[in-house]
Amino acid sequence: MNWLSMVANRLLWFVPTLVGLLAIVFVLSRVIPVDPAVLAAGENASAAQVQQVRERFGFDKPLPVQFVNYLRDVAQGNLGTSLFTQQPIVDDLASRLPATLELTIFAVLIAGLIGIPLGVLCGLHRNSWIDHVLRVVTVSGLAVASFWLAMQFQFLFSMKLGWLPLSGRIEGFPPEPVTGLMLVDAMIEGDREMIGSAFRHIILPTLTLALPAAATVVRFTRNGVIGVINSPSVAYQTAMGLPRRLIVWKYVLRMALTATVTQLGLIFGILLAGAVVVETVFDWPGLGAYAVRSILQSDYNAVMGFTLCTGALFVLINLLVDMLQAAIDPRGAA
Amino acid sequence: MTTTRRDALKAVAGSVALASLSIEGALAQAGGKFVYANNSPYDNLDPHTIFDTARAASRFNLYDGLYRWVDNPPKMIPWLAESHTVSDDGKVYTFKLRQNAKFHDGKPLTSADVVYSIERILALKKGPASLYLDSIKPGSTQAPDPHTVVFNLNGPSAIFLTTVPDILVVNSALVKANEKDGDWGEAWLTRNEAGSGSYALRRHDPAVGFTARRFAEHFAGWTGQPFDDLEFRTVLETNTRVLGLIRGDFQGADGYLPYDQIQRLRQSSNVQIIEQESMRVFILALNCTKPPMNNPNFRRALAYAFDYDGFIKSIMKDSVSRNPGPNPNNIWGTPAGLKGYSYNLDKAREELKKVTEPLRPITINALAGFSESEQAATLFQSTLRQIGVEVVVEVSPWSLVSTRMRKPDTQADIVPLWKSTYYVDPNNWVGELYGTRYHGTRTFSYYSNPEFDKRLDRALVSSSQEERRQLYEEMTQMVNDDAAGIFVYNTRWYGPYSSKVEGIRFSPVSNGQDIRWASLKR
Repeated sequence: MNWLSMVANRLLWFVPTLVGLLAIVFVLSRVIPVDPAVLAAGENASAAQVQQVRERFGFDKPLPVQFVNYLRDVAQGNLGTSLFTQQPIVDDLASRLPATLELTIFAVLIAGLIGIPLGVLCGLHRNSWIDHVLRVVTVSGLAVASFWLAMQFQFLFSMKLGWLPLSGRIEGFPPEPVTGLMLVDAMIEGDREMIGSAFRHIILPTLTLALPAAATVVRFTRNGVIGVINSPSVAYQTAMGLPRRLIVWKYVLRMALTATVTQLGLIFGILLAGAVVVETVFDWPGLGAYAVRSILQSDYNAVMGFTLCTGALFVLINLLVDMLQAAIDPRGAA
Repeated sequence: MTTTRRDALKAVAGSVALASLSIEGALAQAGGKFVYANNSPYDNLDPHTIFDTARAASRFNLYDGLYRWVDNPPKMIPWLAESHTVSDDGKVYTFKLRQNAKFHDGKPLTSADVVYSIERILALKKGPASLYLDSIKPGSTQAPDPHTVVFNLNGPSAIFLTTVPDILVVNSALVKANEKDGDWGEAWLTRNEAGSGSYALRRHDPAVGFTARRFAEHFAGWTGQPFDDLEFRTVLETNTRVLGLIRGDFQGADGYLPYDQIQRLRQSSNVQIIEQESMRVFILALNCTKPPMNNPNFRRALAYAFDYDGFIKSIMKDSVSRNPGPNPNNIWGTPAGLKGYSYNLDKAREELKKVTEPLRPITINALAGFSESEQAATLFQSTLRQIGVEVVVEVSPWSLVSTRMRKPDTQADIVPLWKSTYYVDPNNWVGELYGTRYHGTRTFSYYSNPEFDKRLDRALVSSSQEERRQLYEEMTQMVNDDAAGIFVYNTRWYGPYSSKVEGIRFSPVSNGQDIRWASLKR
């Protein structure tokens, strides 16, 4: 019951949170003294051409009217049309979101797979040489700029060794998407060559995103393990003669993971919105590049659409994290 | 000797003969795939709404115009039209179309398609529309027979012919079938194609780019071993484009890479650099309206205070050519021997003494993300300080700069930027940059001079090439004397291509992206 009310409570806040987010972005985007109609009409456009674009997109109306109209359209599933691609924003986002999701999901998985075992190792061997070495590595991992890391990976694995492709999601031009997730599409097609190509292409961008994230996971898991390993319950279990492996992997890890799971949820949200650098370097056609271009060109509808999309995903992921935490430790759902 | 419209007609007729010869020959053999990495997105394929040179690929590979600009210096060759005539009053242009041109769906291309295309351009009021809105009334273009198009201009226009290559022809039946709510098929044509060009669209992904297959039935025919497939991709990161060229992933990339990257590419045996003097001039646009910027003495002081040689040699590493006037070096319209201004702080101080208005801090608005623009602003700031002019440098994205440029009271005092080639006529540069008629649209200066405007009005209607040359030379001299802008350099284009590619024909209009002439070396 507690669990259900927690979910209901979160869902109740879902819409007001997004409306608040949209209001902030709406105001911020309009504060910048840029006329998107000028940009959309082109640098050689006459004043009449600019005015026509302004009227067509409703930029000539007062700001409150524009916002209310926008919310009304959003409620009907219409996020407007992009000033530059001339396509519905929903279509633009739908064509780019899978690429970013695929990259982010892989990055979080890798970060978890690397970070959790190493964090446990550090926590169990606190202040040992393993702990010291991994602490240096994780601090370095947090400090390194993803732009620099991406380029170093390109130089080493693509240019010097020739093991992995330099950029893109697949060899050649991507085929018509089914789900938009390249690996899933390749599996649906049953094309082994395509699966291999998609897998090779995702390795470097994923590692670039995952390694700094893994460093965070290591640190949180380590702290969690240290906190639990010194608790009375573990002392009791040890005194009861339970095998150490069982204590660590069944009891310690379960309790220690609460903070890590929260962190993984946050990392997912951060990577989702912040994958732009990696997407740019690896020519990964996701949401990041679209968002940056939309901001630079003051493509208002696109900026709002991107914000709504990532905001909604972020809220949903947080809900998922809360549910997962409640499953791990039911006391938190109270 | 006077060159008249009739002379121009003869020249075009001569070119027709040459062009006819050049398209004969053996059938093309299998030619492979050409992958081009561009820094601009191919998120819109509509030839009537996009008009920037960076995205010339979709316009000139998928579509054809009546005439076409090729080579450098650019020459206009007959394309869908075989010839044209002009009425004695200069208002009626009649084009004769080829009989054998057809669209990618097999439908013959006729004059009705040309009429629909110009009406669509005028109705959408985007992209190239500004070239025609003042000179062609909607509904005035006629198609008396399937292979004749008659443009009835509002008045004589000396530049109309040079803008004809930008009337890219769409398949009217196909676009009409996809019109929605009177949108002239705009939403559909953004993602699809209705052309007759050398290549036909296969796939378009606005986040990635597009691919196209060679159109074997193109009216110009094929010789040699042209590429069978094209792939134009958006690759935003310069380093990735450069590494991709070195690795052989890409066969071509945009030609305005930073010079250090060009030097890096030169060291790779996989890459060749095709070097051409372009028609993209770098200027410091001066807002001539606000005191003391409205005082020619102050502007001359500014013009003497810019370190042209230092900028070109030290910052640009001699990768560009000094261009002392508003027109590119490689086009007519600049008086012989125009030296422009040189860096001389003593002369700058002398001019400054003549300024009676109180001095104020001058704002330079550089373009964010364009290192040359930012470096020019910083360099100018340091030299202007030496003559007692305080400078505030702001760096803003193009979106902000272009919005400010719409009004003289919001535009910064100085903006370092480039003027590209949209049509090959001095009017594209000196005319548009300094004519009062272009205020609020294509001018960056808000310079206004009745004597200049009088000459511009005449130059835009004159049918005499010699008279036009003289008029543009006089206008250029006026702009120089009044220091209406600070003219720095003409860009050199360093087209990076795979060393296995040959036959690239660079034109400043198509920006090295018109690929029908290129092939793999065998």
